Amino acid sequence: QDWQVRYQQDTPVAPRFDVNAPDLYIPAMAFLTYILLAGLALGTQNRFSPDSLGLVASSALAWLLLEVLSVLLSLYLVTVSTDLTPIDLVAFAGYKYVGMIVGLVAGLLLGRVGYYVALTWCCLSIFVFMIRTLRLKLLSEAAAEGVLVRGAKNQLRMYLTMAIAAAQPLFMYWLTFHLLR
Amino acid sequence: MSSFEQFHIDFYQSNYTIEDQEEGCNSYGSDKNLCESRKRQAEEQPAGGAFVPSDMLLSPQSYSGSILQPACSPDAPSQLGYVDGFDEEPPLLEELGINFEHIWQKTLTVLNPMKPADGSIMNETDLTGPMVFCLALGATLLMAGKVHFGYVYGMSAIGCLAMHALLNLMSVSGVSHGCVASVLGYCLLPMVILSSAAVLFSLQGTPGTVLALFIIGWCSLSASKIFTSALAMEGQQLLIAYPCALLYGLFALLTVF
Repeated sequence: QDWQVRYQQDTPVAPRFDVNAPDLYIPAMAFLTYILLAGLALGTQNRFSPDSLGLVASSALAWLLLEVLSVLLSLYLVTVSTDLTPIDLVAFAGYKYVGMIVGLVAGLLLGRVGYYVALTWCCLSIFVFMIRTLRLKLLSEAAAEGVLVRGAKNQLRMYLTMAIAAAQPLFMYWLTFHLLR
Repeated sequence: MSSFEQFHIDFYQSNYTIEDQEEGCNSYGSDKNLCESRKRQAEEQPAGGAFVPSDMLLSPQSYSGSILQPACSPDAPSQLGYVDGFDEEPPLLEELGINFEHIWQKTLTVLNPMKPADGSIMNETDLTGPMVFCLALGATLLMAGKVHFGYVYGMSAIGCLAMHALLNLMSVSGVSHGCVASVLGYCLLPMVILSSAAVLFSLQGTPGTVLALFIIGWCSLSASKIFTSALAMEGQQLLIAYPCALLYGLFALLTVF
């Protein structure tokens, strides 16, 4: 299946026309579902109060903003010319919430073992997804097609891509393990 | 003028509307067709006036006592109608825009999500029913020992804002805040049933979880059904149902835990 974004244009295209264009529906719904599931996990452990729901929501939002801002800062420092808008970065950062939800559901239903198995699988998959997506956007044309171009600039960009992709599993673990004590 | 027959909504069974219709038609003879069709409808239903919702009006001055303009009959001597004669004031409920028949119809629509909904019932944004349902939810939560009025209010406000933003982004024609708030409030009725069940037995445990999931599905199904029929978004009912389910899931969390 072809996962590349069609419509290589300057203007962003709405998801009605391009199936692979990033849109904020899945990340937003995944974020809200994560908050709900966090409330459910706290409730089954008798740690629930409506205040804690707001606490989980605002802390997750704060971590999301922090991550997007740090990615923006690192993109600025590396001086890479890319067509990634901040909203695109928010969308990409939100995709890891899907993995978190799967991990939480597995943890609620199957215990800690199920949680770790599901989380490992989701971490790997989001790592691969981020590498593939960012490689198209950040690296130069030659490297995107698989040819290894030696050069300081490309190496720096490769490190940046790996760092962004590696940050995702870290966030996924950090934001879920305290809910399944 | 076939659209008049579609909107056979009897607003208020009172003699006032018929007399005023005729008065209005006589004094504003410009829209002859309008007056004639109204007179025909008034003859067809002598007991109650066939009342057209205000957004179908072509000449608002020839209609007095409409929902949005509780003002006078057109040939009254003074400009401020409701200051003039006590007899010519519209009834209080009509002035406030509370129509029990409509409220009951909308409640029945919510209670039966399997029946296909009429898209036109949500044309008037009516917040009375939703207010009653929110207060009922707060009262049943109070009976279960949880004083969560503020949380219910806050979550419904934020939920309405979020759904309004989402629906405006997803649909071709936009919606207003009042319409979204009205639909979401009406579909809160099954949640009241859940919280009254919570008074009788504790919902933590498998039967309580199953009941809560069933009620959430009921609420979001009817809300998405009304939204898709009102905004003509076919094929997107599940996409709308999921955010509704998230919102009602928040209320269910409040109720269960």
